[in-house]
Amino acid sequence: MLKFILKRLGSALGVLLAASLLLYVLVINSGDPLADLRESNADNREYLMEQRIGYMELDQPWYARYWGWLSGASKCLIGQCDLGRNINGIEVSGLLANAAASTLRLVLLATIIAAILGIAIGVLTAVRQYSGLDYIVTFLTFLFFSLPVFWAAVLLKNYMAIEFNDWLVAPDISLTTSIVIGVVAGLVMQMLLAGSLKRRALTFVVTAAFVPLMLQYSLWLNFYRYPQMGPAVIVVLTALLALSVTAMSVGLKERRVLVPALITVVLVLGMYYATFNLMLDPNAWILVVGLILAVGIPAVIGKLMGGRLSKMAMGLAAVVGFTGASLTLIDHLFRAWPGFLQIKSRPISTIGSSTPNLQGGFWDHFLDNATQLLLPTILLAIISLASYSRYTRSSMLEVQQQDYIRTARSKGLAERTVIFRHAFRNALIPIATIAAFDFAGLIGGAVITETVFGWKGMGEMFTTGLNNVDPNPVMAFFLVTGSAAILFNLLADIVYALLDPRIRV
Amino acid sequence: MRFQRVSKAVALGAVLALSITACSPGGTDAPEPGEATETQNGGGTEATTTGLADLGDITTKDDTISVSVGAPEFISYNGFTPQTYSTYNSAITDRMFVGFSYFGTDGQVYPNEELGTFEKVSDDPLTVEYTINEDAVWSDGTPITVADAVLAWAVQNTNLSDGDSPLFNSVSQDLGDTVPNGPEGDASGKTFSVVFTDPDPDWQIQTWMLHPAHVVAEQGGLSLDEFVEAARSGDSDALKDAAEFWNTGWVTDPGTLPDEELMPVSGPYKLSSWQAGESVTIEANEAYYGTPAATKNITFRFSADNTMVQSLQNQDLNVIAPQPTVDTLTQLEALGDAVVIHQGDTLTWEHLDFNFVDGNVMNSLELRTAFAKCVPRQDIVDNLIKPLNPDAQVMNAREVFPFQENYEEVVAAAYDGRFDEVDIEGAKTILEEQDAVGTEVRIGYSAPNERRTNQVAQIKSSCDEAGFNIVDAGDPQFFAPGGTQERGDYEVALFAWAGSGQIASGQNIYSTGKPQNYGQFSNEAVDAEWATLAASLDPAVHLEQIKKIEKLLWDELYGIPVFAHPGLDASSSDIENVRFTATQNGIVWNAEQWLRAE
Repeated sequence: MLKFILKRLGSALGVLLAASLLLYVLVINSGDPLADLRESNADNREYLMEQRIGYMELDQPWYARYWGWLSGASKCLIGQCDLGRNINGIEVSGLLANAAASTLRLVLLATIIAAILGIAIGVLTAVRQYSGLDYIVTFLTFLFFSLPVFWAAVLLKNYMAIEFNDWLVAPDISLTTSIVIGVVAGLVMQMLLAGSLKRRALTFVVTAAFVPLMLQYSLWLNFYRYPQMGPAVIVVLTALLALSVTAMSVGLKERRVLVPALITVVLVLGMYYATFNLMLDPNAWILVVGLILAVGIPAVIGKLMGGRLSKMAMGLAAVVGFTGASLTLIDHLFRAWPGFLQIKSRPISTIGSSTPNLQGGFWDHFLDNATQLLLPTILLAIISLASYSRYTRSSMLEVQQQDYIRTARSKGLAERTVIFRHAFRNALIPIATIAAFDFAGLIGGAVITETVFGWKGMGEMFTTGLNNVDPNPVMAFFLVTGSAAILFNLLADIVYALLDPRIRV
Repeated sequence: MRFQRVSKAVALGAVLALSITACSPGGTDAPEPGEATETQNGGGTEATTTGLADLGDITTKDDTISVSVGAPEFISYNGFTPQTYSTYNSAITDRMFVGFSYFGTDGQVYPNEELGTFEKVSDDPLTVEYTINEDAVWSDGTPITVADAVLAWAVQNTNLSDGDSPLFNSVSQDLGDTVPNGPEGDASGKTFSVVFTDPDPDWQIQTWMLHPAHVVAEQGGLSLDEFVEAARSGDSDALKDAAEFWNTGWVTDPGTLPDEELMPVSGPYKLSSWQAGESVTIEANEAYYGTPAATKNITFRFSADNTMVQSLQNQDLNVIAPQPTVDTLTQLEALGDAVVIHQGDTLTWEHLDFNFVDGNVMNSLELRTAFAKCVPRQDIVDNLIKPLNPDAQVMNAREVFPFQENYEEVVAAAYDGRFDEVDIEGAKTILEEQDAVGTEVRIGYSAPNERRTNQVAQIKSSCDEAGFNIVDAGDPQFFAPGGTQERGDYEVALFAWAGSGQIASGQNIYSTGKPQNYGQFSNEAVDAEWATLAASLDPAVHLEQIKKIEKLLWDELYGIPVFAHPGLDASSSDIENVRFTATQNGIVWNAEQWLRAE
């Protein structure tokens, strides 16, 4: 294996080197770096051109310029990167750090959401092949897939930023609108839950009645400006979760699993009060440590009390702990929301990754970053949803035709076990390839999304560099994306081996 | 079925949860829906001249106004090096540094008496005496003195060099020869005089105040006096470190500002924060000795043009300067009273220039005249420019713009309206007389440029009728080395000059052998008139010379001016004192006067 990895890395380095030479030559010949000065009638135009020729070394032959870049960049191997300066005399390594950080923030969450949701949708549509749900979801994912990003972004900004902000000034949902929303929600719910005609009708009626009621109730509460949850709701929701996950996995009779889950519920309530003051103005570390503890402690309890079923008990208790912690977090966000509206009266902006010079405490900044991330994340996620869901669907369908699935069914395994244990795991293998490419691609940045939402990321660095015929930023971009592509391909190979023991290199 | 049990339990639980919490409506009553904003076209103090309006007694309001002039990132506090010099960087740095003069909205030069006064004391040699305001200080409290003027001169003095290249890497480099002695006067005093070797019609806009000399001197390991002494005596060795600091000391990674003590300012604003890739905020300079800034914080956000209108609508931005396109204008108009749209001409103008290179058919005045007769200038303006600027008109001059005071006078003296109407028949007659029917005219421009492509199409449909064969020779490499322009493979070049507000800069374009005389036009009379203009300091002479030059250029048909580029800016209607300017300073030119209405 090690030899294989080294061999792969060696050949990759060769490819990278050749590609860098090609790219460098292409970039420096892609236009005229002095174009903006040629139409200028400043009286010192000639002098400005001379200076630019000097500091960009435009008078040097291509191999000398490339060598200059290469010798700087190759110092990266010994940890002393010198990626040169851009046309404005700024060090490219500094630019690169900012661009990479901004791009990662922008696309990481979106890609994870897209992968999880896409795979879930893919499995669901494969299990219910040719149902109404399958057709509708297929239609929607293709619709999203074919959305032009810039256009969808304009629509999102219009409805989810501008109009939402206008609406939030004095939230109102008319009775008619509530009923329409209720009917739509009812239709969606009955489709999702499926079942017999009678059951579908019941689901529809209950949802269609419940949703409008909730909407009007939330308005009466002024929920959208003063949201509230409180410990009671947290405990009830967590307890319900504990009961349902236990019921769905091993059954409520299995005390060794149920008790740790319920103990976790009590812990959640205790911790809610214990950390209340701490959480009024925490910092990122407190949240991270808190989350680790919220998962870790229930897991330990589950391990100790679970006995024969300790693995199951651990998992369930951890899920309950995680949910309780998340709800507590949301509760605090709800508390901070009215204050946040005071300092940022229009919470969703159309540009930027955060509001410049925002006052306020931790939660205000947290909310600010979250609201700024909302639109681009939605956009990126729904667009890349399609590929994940379609690949998963076809992969699942293919696997379900296999003999060993029939065998699994015929020996009487529960349908859930057949699908998740036997079919899904195998169906994931081709998805791993796509995910690897997707992750490598995401570091390259989402050029259009970055531009329309005003984030300066990798894509922006690349296009600006190319427009200025400025090779250094373009090469830095190439260095990162090229290495990422190679690295993630390698990772995909390793993940294959993990997912499928039959694959041995 | 187990699943059914669970879903019932969930539904029950949800109802239960609602009942136990017994939520009550949160907070105070919902606020009233936002009141419709009043339209205040050109709200704020009415300006009486094209210079800054007098706002009266003003105190800084604790507020933030957001503006975007475009996507490019802020570069540096020192925007005076070739690397950092850009209109986007200047939009920010110009708020931090004041000079002895500034451009009004029509390009007219106004003195800035907050920094000080100046007076021409002699014409031969041209001598100007400057007096710095007694109260003028840098934001760190250090008085602004003659030493600062010496720094401004030193960075533009190429005689200070390390042998190969000038010590200071500056965009402007001519003061060393034109003002060999630099600012003369006591370095720690407030008055100095400068003596020009040759008359300079643009003496009023020379830069005599840039960066803080005390910071540069200290960083270069010199005392202020040593620095001034070294600069005046041309001691390049002593200045090496100081120059090195000036060149690179203020260049930082995006998002990191230099230390505050390194970047004091002389203007109404100072840098306060920089979020890499997204925004720079400038804050009112509390030590400012002139009229205080109207609003405490101005945030410059780096947004792409196509995002600006929605950001304005969502109030993420309060003032925007997008690329002027009909689409953008339509979107802005759709916002109705919530925004004020600022439209007008800019100091950039489009023109068709002939190629006078040996052997080119356009060396024939008759053919140039025939071409000028068939170019549908009015149609071009009506179709392409009026949608953006309803007041646009065909430009009939090169050195003055339609919105400037003396335009009518100059045009009246130089041009008799002979090319106002398209005269296909007249053009046809000339072509037949010259036996030149079917002459190929390649109109070159830097492609892609939709507006220019459309102009060429309009010219083609008109001039082909007259017997020309117009060819669209638009090319991305038009101005590139070895490109169409350099090879001379064109008859007419279509491009624009960006006016600099200088008086004598046209000499570089129209005189024989000058670098910007791309078409290699040569006419002794024109050369002589320019020489007279450049040697004079008298505005009356300047005007007379411009009239003569314009007339010669029309008679000889150097080229055909077409229109001034339209500009488009917009602001929220609650922001007062936002004023359009034709100059390259752009809408932010008077940002220190912007104020949000109560």
